[in-house]
Amino acid sequence: MSHHLFLLSPSDTPLYELTHYSSKPAQTTTSPLASNLPSWSTSAFAGTLTALSGASSVSQSYHVQGGGVRMGGGKDRHVIQMIANASLDVIEDVMRKDSLMYLKSVDKFNEWTISAFVTPGNMKFVLLHETRNDDGIRSFFLDVWELYVKTMLNPFHTAHTPIRSGVFDARVRASAKKHL
Amino acid sequence: MPHTARFMPNPLASGHIHLSYPSHPLPSTHQSMSLFRPSDFPLGVIGIASCSQNDSLSAILAQFNATLSDLFPSGALFPLANNCLVFEESDGSTNLTLGSLPGLVVIPGMMGNKQLYVGTLIADLCSNILAEFATVVQSLESPLGNEYLNATMFPTLPPVSEMPKPIENDMPLRSSLPPLPSQHSQPELNTGSSLLRAKTPTTLSVKRNSSIGPGPPSSPFRQHSLPIQTNKKKPLTIGAVSSHGRLFKVLGDLFLLAGRTMDASVWYNEALALLKSAQDIVWQASALEGLATLQVVEAWSSNTTNGVSEGSEPWADAADKLTQAVQMYSRNAPPAEQEHNFSFVSWLYTRAVLRHTSLLLAVWAAKGWGPLAFTMLLHTGTTTLPPTLSQEDESAASGGSKRVSYHSAERLTSITGITRSTIAGVLAQVHGPWLLHLGVRERIFILENMAAVYGILGYPRKEAYVLREVLGCVMDLVVCGREEGGTTSIAGAGLGLQGVDVGESTPRGTVGVRTSDKSEGNESILRIVKHICRVHGIDLTAVGILVGEEASAPSEGNPAESETAKEAYGWPELQIGIVREAIAVAEALPDYPAVAQFCLSSLKTLHVVMSQGDQLHLYSTASRALATARRRGDPRQVDYWSGKPVESIEVLPLPLVRLPIEKPVSLLSQQQDVVNPILVGMTDPFLYNPRRSMAGQAAALLVQNESFEVVMTLRNPYVFDLELSKLSLSTSGVAIQSTPMALVVPANSYHAVTITALALEAGTLSIRGCVVQAPGGAPREFLLPLSTDDEETKQARRRSAIECETGRSKRAGLDSRPWEKSGKRASMAAPSSSSTPGTRFLQCQVVLEQPLLRIRRTSLTHGAVMMYNGERSTIRITLENVSSLPIDFVRLTFEDSTIGPAQQALAEGELSVFDTYESEYDLIHRPVFTWDHSPGTQSIRPGEKTVVTVNCFGKVGCTDGVIHVSYSYCHRPRPTLDKPPETFHTRQLSYPVLVTVYHMLECLNLDILPYSPDVMFTNSQSSHKSDAHTYKDSLQVEDPEDWCIFSVEVRNTYGIPFEVKFERQQPEVALGNKSILVPPGSTSRILLPVMKFRLPDEEVHKPIPTLSDRQFVVSKSGLSADQERIQRELFWYRETLFDHIRGRWKETGGTRSGELSLRQLRMSQPMLSALRVERARLQLSLWCLKDAADSVMEPIPQANGVYEPPMDELVYLRARVTNLSESRIFTVNLLLDPIPHILAEGVLADIPIGRLDTGQTYAFDTPITFVSCGRFSLSGFLAEPGSPGDGDRLGRGSLKAIVHP
Repeated sequence: MSHHLFLLSPSDTPLYELTHYSSKPAQTTTSPLASNLPSWSTSAFAGTLTALSGASSVSQSYHVQGGGVRMGGGKDRHVIQMIANASLDVIEDVMRKDSLMYLKSVDKFNEWTISAFVTPGNMKFVLLHETRNDDGIRSFFLDVWELYVKTMLNPFHTAHTPIRSGVFDARVRASAKKHL
Repeated sequence: MPHTARFMPNPLASGHIHLSYPSHPLPSTHQSMSLFRPSDFPLGVIGIASCSQNDSLSAILAQFNATLSDLFPSGALFPLANNCLVFEESDGSTNLTLGSLPGLVVIPGMMGNKQLYVGTLIADLCSNILAEFATVVQSLESPLGNEYLNATMFPTLPPVSEMPKPIENDMPLRSSLPPLPSQHSQPELNTGSSLLRAKTPTTLSVKRNSSIGPGPPSSPFRQHSLPIQTNKKKPLTIGAVSSHGRLFKVLGDLFLLAGRTMDASVWYNEALALLKSAQDIVWQASALEGLATLQVVEAWSSNTTNGVSEGSEPWADAADKLTQAVQMYSRNAPPAEQEHNFSFVSWLYTRAVLRHTSLLLAVWAAKGWGPLAFTMLLHTGTTTLPPTLSQEDESAASGGSKRVSYHSAERLTSITGITRSTIAGVLAQVHGPWLLHLGVRERIFILENMAAVYGILGYPRKEAYVLREVLGCVMDLVVCGREEGGTTSIAGAGLGLQGVDVGESTPRGTVGVRTSDKSEGNESILRIVKHICRVHGIDLTAVGILVGEEASAPSEGNPAESETAKEAYGWPELQIGIVREAIAVAEALPDYPAVAQFCLSSLKTLHVVMSQGDQLHLYSTASRALATARRRGDPRQVDYWSGKPVESIEVLPLPLVRLPIEKPVSLLSQQQDVVNPILVGMTDPFLYNPRRSMAGQAAALLVQNESFEVVMTLRNPYVFDLELSKLSLSTSGVAIQSTPMALVVPANSYHAVTITALALEAGTLSIRGCVVQAPGGAPREFLLPLSTDDEETKQARRRSAIECETGRSKRAGLDSRPWEKSGKRASMAAPSSSSTPGTRFLQCQVVLEQPLLRIRRTSLTHGAVMMYNGERSTIRITLENVSSLPIDFVRLTFEDSTIGPAQQALAEGELSVFDTYESEYDLIHRPVFTWDHSPGTQSIRPGEKTVVTVNCFGKVGCTDGVIHVSYSYCHRPRPTLDKPPETFHTRQLSYPVLVTVYHMLECLNLDILPYSPDVMFTNSQSSHKSDAHTYKDSLQVEDPEDWCIFSVEVRNTYGIPFEVKFERQQPEVALGNKSILVPPGSTSRILLPVMKFRLPDEEVHKPIPTLSDRQFVVSKSGLSADQERIQRELFWYRETLFDHIRGRWKETGGTRSGELSLRQLRMSQPMLSALRVERARLQLSLWCLKDAADSVMEPIPQANGVYEPPMDELVYLRARVTNLSESRIFTVNLLLDPIPHILAEGVLADIPIGRLDTGQTYAFDTPITFVSCGRFSLSGFLAEPGSPGDGDRLGRGSLKAIVHP
């Protein structure tokens, strides 16, 4: 089971990305319709479509049943980014209505559930996950927020500066390990 | 009543028919769904034909039937009815026989009300369809039919011919349906077969057991039918007894299609009950869908919002049903062996989700459950924007992005209680891997609808996501269709493939065949691509495409600030991926200009975040695409793409020889200026003169018909070498001639380019910028206005304002895309309006053609001149006029290395007055170069030569100099009688001269001594040579009192001996001179008697003059008045002395001679008093009486000027006072030394003399006695009583005496 975290600046630029592989098993509740997919075309465009519709990840996870399902590389990474980006539409919509910072399960797309966390500075933390884990995600987001605020204390760090700090990365990973 | 009337509406009932005219039938693979979902299939076919006189109707009919059988397989259930309308083309009489052929209706051309007639025909067709419904049902109602129906999940009926004929006679008319009107022809169900009847004994009353039905429930039917169903053997077996759930559902469908909602509702509910028990989930879901649809139709037909009183919204029920249906579809996995079923279930599932979405969307967009929502649901579907949102759309549509404003969307949400995220959440269920199960066209349909809904909801990112998938589908079709070869026409009429080389795949030839000329399809695909990219913050149209040759470059104002203000937007990784895909799409179409446009636009906007490989790849793709487009003769051109490449433009100044210099005409009239030009530069009294700095910025001067050079600095911010096929100047004003050049700007660097141009006429030339053209692109002009100070500050302010804003995020999300933001920023908008008017460009003044002079030869070798200090020599320069214009003005000016330091020292003003004078004197009176010119020889005709002579003066410290020859053709004939110009232009020719001046003689130790004979005699006694005589002679003077001795040492520091000669030129005195040979390394002293002189007081007290016109010279020396007086006296006496005495030198054994300067010598106060004539003279002498009796006195003999008085005898010291100045009172003081050995009578101090007039003499004697032998010195001085002090000694006298024993 994997989680994908993106920290997006107000101009939708990712400042930080994290892919976390949780040891917990993914209880995939894929629809039976998603099985037995045909391979219908070999053109590059068909490949794009396959990836975007989420078919490739399904078939992939079917093939490597036992082993650790590696995702987030190659084309899937692109798709996951697309999904994260597309979920911004809903996040922007919802966050204007609710004044909550933690928007849990704000969107669902393909097999992914998207939770988001909007800071007062309009930074958006977007997390793609497969199972519901509201409390864990909430505390994870709070951790990330605290770390982010500490990073922002740096006077040379603006809302558009990518976060490359190793310490930040290590702490986020630790928090992900703990909560997710 | 025939069975065909079963589905007919009530007679005389009014109603509506909704017809939808699908352009494409479902593919034949969906045939198996014809019973499951009849509404998806075309029920009737209308053929439209036009016929002229020659066509035969039978041929038309045959063609129609052929087409029909081509579209629909023969065994298909649908269409149920066909009709072909044949329109006559002309009014002329036809030989067509009306109505002769079934299924063919001819509409004569002369017929008046065609609309009405066609309407009637269509109504006819509809009634045929309804009649056919009954036939279908009839066959299904047979036991065999029912078994067929239950055979598979998606059953098909065998061709009608194979079905057993229904027993029509068997059908009694049943009207035992209390709740339903009797004319509804339901009873076939009961009468269809005995088996069926047996199972449904109470016919329709049973159906009312469902919750919707109006009648009382009757459960027994269901209870006893259920075991029958479940106890059935394998459902595949035909002929076995199956449940009627499916049949009821089909009936419901058909009744719904027939518009008989009551019946449909009844049958649906019945079907639901049966299917639920039978676990036939897919059919059950479909029945639920049907019920939901039914509800909408009913609501529409009653046109009321029924059920408002209920707590929940009226649509909630339908929505619930749909939700259930969706879940049922998604949970149901068809048996794996049935491959087709996956696609069918997926199709049903996605359709159900879309249905649900469109219901919610319609309610949301129509502000609730009302007529508007029904209309939307029934008519429009999801692909068009609802009218409630479309009015806001008009303003946004011009901007290119259709977006629902947040507030209007929220208003709808608050009215209806449906949030956008809810709709989106429902819609998101469509998306999943199962999309791959669908057929191509279905997938496109689903995705299109999905994208449309997202678009309406104002979720552009999701819309873009789905649109990418749509594109993927479409492009896959395009690519696959092409791979199959040119024979199959690509599906979809819109996809005109432009420039496809179909011939590549065909074996017979290589000639490309363009299958379609239509390019709308390509354009719309590209439009989608651009839309997707815009959503992700990439402007693919950042580089325009120009059609045709009109490539008039739009001049660019001042895009500098937009580049600095550009802020990164978006997700770089995604952007690059999307751009790659966009390019792939454009390449696959193929549309080469679009490929180039996309590549270059994304390079332009994204190059900051792009990797090197990407940049290189995009650039090479673009160049390749442009080359291909050109090869194929595409009329479109890509605009110049890269940002402003020009950083600066600079006109190289002409080489000094050719540079014209502007001079006022008045210079010609005043011939030789009085003011020395060397000192003119320093007359400016102001330390900072703004006008002078302005004068330095004058426009560059160029010359007509002579080439000039412009240096352009180009910048390439990319990692590849930027190729420019053309770079030329953009100018206005006078015409120039210049050839464009091609060049390559190296990667990531600034590159300076020199362009040569030729000005063809005189006037003002302004260089606006440059025109650049990338290979294969259109030329584009870039302006480079000069920025004034005002502009600079404005820009700086704007920049800082923008910089201040950059860190902040006032706009988030899509609003922060660059083009969205730029319009809104106040700091950007305000100054742009004011910046337009005052654009200035780099200007050059092109002057008339000028003559050209060159130095043919000079008298110098290697341009060097060697001189001794003070020597004079000449340089001859031969000038040649190499132009075709005459020269009528020549003037020489000079520079040398001594001028600069001296000028600087003067300008600093730290020098004392005396030093200032010396420096100025040096500059003005002793220049290194002077021009020896005669006024007549100033014109040089074309091709002629002339010689100028320059005098050279050796001055120590001079190392080099420059001779400037200014020349001009100023009296040229004027074509008009206009006012002559105020200025004319000269050119300057410079000749550098290397100067070496040897410093060989040095004057030092100036001294001026009073003339005392004893000095003279000691000198003369020591030598007896002849030259000593002359030496002595030269020192001989008549009256020693009137003379003094000028003494100076001359040192020879050079290697050869020099003869030094000093001349005395005093007024009223004979000339005198003294020469001496100074050997190398030795020092010789020269003595020259100089007559004392006295300058008038008023002259002496004048301040030291300044030779220049310098003003405001404040004396910085803090001298007292007394010291100042002394300084002035010293100055004036020194000046006069140097006037009188000249030093010259001559090379021994050589011809070179020169002047020896004394000016470095300083004079001191004692020298001055020796030089100056005293105001009164005191002469002392010793006298004695000739004998004791006589009072006659005789002078005591003296030897060598020394008196030798006897010891112990009375002698007289005679003091003789002569007043040489104005009359005054004198006293005399006598000093006797050593006083103990001299006895004197009377007083020695302050001996009064009284007033003496000018020239009057008074003498008195003082008796003294030397009482010892030895040397004595007697002296005295004059004083003026009342003004004590040493300084007032007016005159002195002294004598020496030796007393012999």
